[in-house]
Amino acid sequence: MWWLIRRLIVVLVAAIAIWCVWIDYKIRRDFSALQWALPARLYARPVELYAGAHLSAAELTDTLRRLGYRESSQVAGPGEYTANGSRVSLWTRGFSFWDGDEPSIYVDVDFLGRRVNALRGNQATGEIALARLEPVEIAQINPDTGEDRLPLALSDVPTDLVNAVIAVEDHRFYNHFGVDPIGIARAFVTNLRAGGIVQGGSTLTQQLIKNLYLTEEQTLRRKIEEALMALALELHFSKEEILGAYMNEIFLGQDGNRAIHGFALAAEHYFGRPLDELDLDELALLAGLPRGASYYHPGRNPQRATDRRNVVLAQMMNQGFISQQQMEQAQAQELSVSARPTQRGSGYPAFMDLVREDLSRDYDADALQTEGLRIFTTLDLRVQNTMEAALNDAVAAVEVPPAPGQAAGAPLEAAMVITDASTGDIRAVAGSRRPGYTGFNRALRAVRPVGSLVKPAVMLAALESGNYSLASVLSDAPVTIELDGDNTWSPRNYDNQMYGDVYLYDALQRSLNLATVDIGMQIGVPDVVNTLRELGLTSNPPPYPSVLLGAVNMSPLDVAQMYQTLASNGFRSPLRAVEAVTTGTGERLARYGIETEQVADPTSMYLLEWAMQGVFERGTARNMATRLDRNLPLAGKTGTTNDLRDSWFAGYGSDLAGVVWLGHDDNRETGLTGSSGALRVWTDIMSKLEIQPRQSFTPADVVFQRVAQQAIRNGNSRDCSDTIMLPFREGQLPDPATSCDNNDSLLDRLIDRVRNIRP
Amino acid sequence: MITRISLLFSICLISACASSGGATRTGAPVSTSEPATVRGQTDPAASAQEPARSYPVQVPPQRVDIPATADTPPPPEPAPETPRDRAAPPGTPASTLLASVDQAMAEGDFERAAAVSERALRISPRDAYLWYRLASIRYQQQRYDEAEGFARRALSFAGNDRDLSRDINALLGQIDQR
Repeated sequence: MWWLIRRLIVVLVAAIAIWCVWIDYKIRRDFSALQWALPARLYARPVELYAGAHLSAAELTDTLRRLGYRESSQVAGPGEYTANGSRVSLWTRGFSFWDGDEPSIYVDVDFLGRRVNALRGNQATGEIALARLEPVEIAQINPDTGEDRLPLALSDVPTDLVNAVIAVEDHRFYNHFGVDPIGIARAFVTNLRAGGIVQGGSTLTQQLIKNLYLTEEQTLRRKIEEALMALALELHFSKEEILGAYMNEIFLGQDGNRAIHGFALAAEHYFGRPLDELDLDELALLAGLPRGASYYHPGRNPQRATDRRNVVLAQMMNQGFISQQQMEQAQAQELSVSARPTQRGSGYPAFMDLVREDLSRDYDADALQTEGLRIFTTLDLRVQNTMEAALNDAVAAVEVPPAPGQAAGAPLEAAMVITDASTGDIRAVAGSRRPGYTGFNRALRAVRPVGSLVKPAVMLAALESGNYSLASVLSDAPVTIELDGDNTWSPRNYDNQMYGDVYLYDALQRSLNLATVDIGMQIGVPDVVNTLRELGLTSNPPPYPSVLLGAVNMSPLDVAQMYQTLASNGFRSPLRAVEAVTTGTGERLARYGIETEQVADPTSMYLLEWAMQGVFERGTARNMATRLDRNLPLAGKTGTTNDLRDSWFAGYGSDLAGVVWLGHDDNRETGLTGSSGALRVWTDIMSKLEIQPRQSFTPADVVFQRVAQQAIRNGNSRDCSDTIMLPFREGQLPDPATSCDNNDSLLDRLIDRVRNIRP
Repeated sequence: MITRISLLFSICLISACASSGGATRTGAPVSTSEPATVRGQTDPAASAQEPARSYPVQVPPQRVDIPATADTPPPPEPAPETPRDRAAPPGTPASTLLASVDQAMAEGDFERAAAVSERALRISPRDAYLWYRLASIRYQQQRYDEAEGFARRALSFAGNDRDLSRDINALLGQIDQR
């Protein structure tokens, strides 16, 4: 009998021993390899401050608030600002950018209207020509665990916070071995006296274990295992390592589906400011949260949170970490929780789509979700926010209401892409008329015929061939083109009219279909397709004549690429949404630089540009000329597809290029032309963005000549009483039949004038 | 009996102590600049290993010390530099950034030099000198196609600046020979 009991005991003890060894192994393995899965963070393009920058005081303070800057009467440190009329004073926090460290500096910014007029430093900083704010974080790619944190070394955690945590959670932390029997006993007595739980008996080490292994189970076995693990942890790791891990690991709140772990992220979450900018009362509030992040939530339960904070402060004083005066001062503070927009994670879904698409070429989903990468994007919040604020109303203003008695379908939809006119950076994207819409992203995926948006490519192909000028006379007359087999194609003009002989530039400005087909068939459809591809079209449409009138399917993003090349005078730069990727500590991993390739002759581009500026002066966009009189000259083109299913406008100034598409997801008719729909939306938004007028250098081989206003083929009926001045390539001058310059004698002109005096 | 139990228990602890030396090599898990491993992985061996880098390290190699062999072209001559004072008056954003470009070039960090040039271009997109600067950085990186694009862009903005145009054309000539 005894023998059996002894055998049993031995087996039991052996089992316990094996359990111990296993726990010990597990702790060593897990804790030494402890590296958290960290979400990738995406940043908008940072705001640059310099004299002449396109930025208003309101836009600057708005950005500062998003960055969690505190408004104060006297700027005394990083993360503070003062706004005073046309001057904003601020102290930047500095940031480790992938192209170098931006120092933390004080700067006065003087505004003149919607521009920065001057920067001034203080005595410490001296003259400042340029300063860069920290970038606004626009989104994260979260790990599957849903956990988020900003890991911080213990040495970077404010001493007051460490003291507060130790004071309230485990004041014998430095004196126990992971489990604290004295602490348990004391907590028991204290709780008994208070008639409720005011103090826990768990050490920080035990709490860390609990957090690491995520169990809520309260069994005795669990408790013993926890205690053993705590002992093992203390055995192998220093107090500093354990405390450091605790500071980053502990759960401190929930933000939607994102779990807030660690004090550094909690500071951002609750106060919108970095941990090292928080005051004693704010640190004490955070130190009170491990006990119950939801129960003591300062936003939802302000009274409880305040009481808890005051308990923490009292404990700190009791243990000599702070003076009574400090305690009283901190206890008297109001709760100052930031009401910051919770836009994280889903702020700019259409742009995020684009970023994901770009990143997926080089990074797998796991790397994005776990490695804490920093992704620097080209998103310009000024442009994006201005566009989002205006888009829905602008679309509503042009939307055609359904006819009486007809059922209203889904409302008119929209997409817009705005790029930097010279670099191809994507500065704003809307995938819907509603900002923040996370469904079908029309900017990338509404692949539609583009209609007359191809006409600039037709004209460019003609100008590039060297055989045509802006004054080449085209025939806007009925035509029937034989296709393969017995099929024929008889295009018509939008208004079913015919305009006879017209100049090339006029055909583009008035978007005449028949004249475009005339020139397109002369130069050949394959040449036009080539030009389209040079401009950035990635698909390869079969060279049917209908391509000349826009039977090419493109997404708004594709159109943006094509017009980007036009906007940068024939230099194609691939559109980019991501500029660089770094590790969490700022080490550069990848960089996506600007690229540019010349795809069209500068003189051809100059001539085309002249014609496209005329779209606003004389052509299909002239109805918007008065609204844009501060912005002109601009260049652009309308596009309309069969039965008014798609309404397009693409246009550009010297700083921005923008594409607007309007249409229905089910492809039904919109009742809108490019001119009556998309152009108006484009104008609303681009005028709010104060799009800058085009500036063109005139190439050396360009000469200006007068031609008769009316295009004719027969010089005998030339009418030079009404002329227009056009640019020409030297050696490609206007046909004598239409020219009213130099090659005429004075007598001819006199005769012309007399001939045109009519009774 | 009791001695036996306590003996076993102490063995358990001793074994824990003894085995600690080899395994606890990484120390404090606080700074996580390295690619992280998801905690709670099912395969215990995987978490102990160095996690594989699943992203490309795209920082281009610096080609400062490439030996001249038959395969690799010799390091190119430094692109012709134009005097700074032509590009931007001192104390402007462009001059501040151009100083950073110079510094990055001096440190051999061409990619940072290119990045800072791009930053300057966002402020002055029509500055021919900045485009030219970017062209010569790419030239020195032996990225000739990109260099040519930038040089042509620079030329399109150079206007009446004959000196700059001459320099750009000289660079285009050098690119042509590659």
